[in-house]
Amino acid sequence: MPTNRTVEQEALDRLLSQTAAGDQAAFAELYRRSSSRLFGVCLRMLRERGEAEEVLQEAWIAVWHRAAMFDASKASAITWLITLVRNKAIDRLRQRREQPLDDPALLDDLVDDDPSPAVGAENTQEYRRLRECLDQLEPQQRRSVREAFFSGATYNELAARCKVPLGTMKSWIRRSLLQLRTCLDT
Amino acid sequence: MNTPIDDGNTHLRYAEYVLGVLDADARAEVEREMMASDAVATTVALWQRRLLPLGEEIASSEPPAYVWHRIHSQLGLNMPSRVEGSGDAATRKPGLWENLRFWHWLGLGTSVLAAACLVLLLLPSRQPVAPTAVYMASAITQTDGQVGWTATVDVGHGRMVVVPAKPQAIAAGRAPELWLIPAGQKPIAVGMIGGSAPTTLKLDPALLAKLGPSAALAVSVEPPGGSPTGQPTGPVIAKGSIGASPDAARGQPVTLLNRPDESVRSRS
Repeated sequence: MPTNRTVEQEALDRLLSQTAAGDQAAFAELYRRSSSRLFGVCLRMLRERGEAEEVLQEAWIAVWHRAAMFDASKASAITWLITLVRNKAIDRLRQRREQPLDDPALLDDLVDDDPSPAVGAENTQEYRRLRECLDQLEPQQRRSVREAFFSGATYNELAARCKVPLGTMKSWIRRSLLQLRTCLDT
Repeated sequence: MNTPIDDGNTHLRYAEYVLGVLDADARAEVEREMMASDAVATTVALWQRRLLPLGEEIASSEPPAYVWHRIHSQLGLNMPSRVEGSGDAATRKPGLWENLRFWHWLGLGTSVLAAACLVLLLLPSRQPVAPTAVYMASAITQTDGQVGWTATVDVGHGRMVVVPAKPQAIAAGRAPELWLIPAGQKPIAVGMIGGSAPTTLKLDPALLAKLGPSAALAVSVEPPGGSPTGQPTGPVIAKGSIGASPDAARGQPVTLLNRPDESVRSRS
């Protein structure tokens, strides 16, 4: 897969590499430039402001300590950062004993989630490519993949939310992942 | 073991890991494999590259300024802690701060102070120094002498519950922020608090260690995302010392209030 990084992405790559070398000013600048995106991810997945703030804080502590593991040849800094934040958020979700599925506001959110927002000029080439491939999936399967990605829910939780058997949900998502790989890698 | 069929299924587990659908055990297993095998780590990275662009659809949201101040103090960075936000601080929704269940549980604020003190009195007094059952309290009093908020600290869980005694009138476009002021030191941001509903705040160990009878709590009026400087910028509308609950005169809770602090301080 080709990587066409934007000027901003390259700047973040540099800042993260400098952070790895213990550069505090670079770390602060990296935070300033990317924390609102990362906080958006925390809010979207956790849906609770206090927890989202805690996870964001945990994630940035980990960024400082693990920056040396960043390898610009494997991923861009923003991908690395979002991955780290998503992992922290998913860990937090798994610690919750039960999902508040009876929360009416939450259900509304799920239903209202726009399945296909407009692709804008600000989107990266990678995103546009992924969208083309997602658009080729069956609507039901596309929605499952999107819901999985944005909510961080397990197969069990997704099956319960969509009111389908677990096996159906697994096969929807696995088939989608295979199809996406074929589409993206060709 | 790398037959084409097996290859497909195994790789899908890494895709499922990146998508986020695996349960905690399966996730931990994939993470162990990533540590042990470069090939697995690369496969996971490839899936990240494929799927993570979907994150571009998520709306950005400016975190409150105190998150950076906490990161700064937790890491012990020695540069100035001020970081300018990149813009839309107004995206904050104060309603999400408010913990409705706790509010209802408290009986909508009637005799909030009594409830806070009850928590203290119910503590097992036979083990006042056990760090898992240690609470501290503060009545944060307004300039007119009325109690504005009560703060109860659960030391064991590193949490503070701040409850307004009655709905507070805060200027439009402003929000109350809570500060901890160790004796003779500059205020430290604790977090934004609700003006009409309780707020639960997470306290990191560095902050917990600074709580004690010599420290004070204060509430100032700040922009909704918190003070941009890391120090109070608006008027201070309420203040209280830790342990100065209205029941202090009765004696008993004070013992509970003060003693836990010693166990806290010894950790710092």
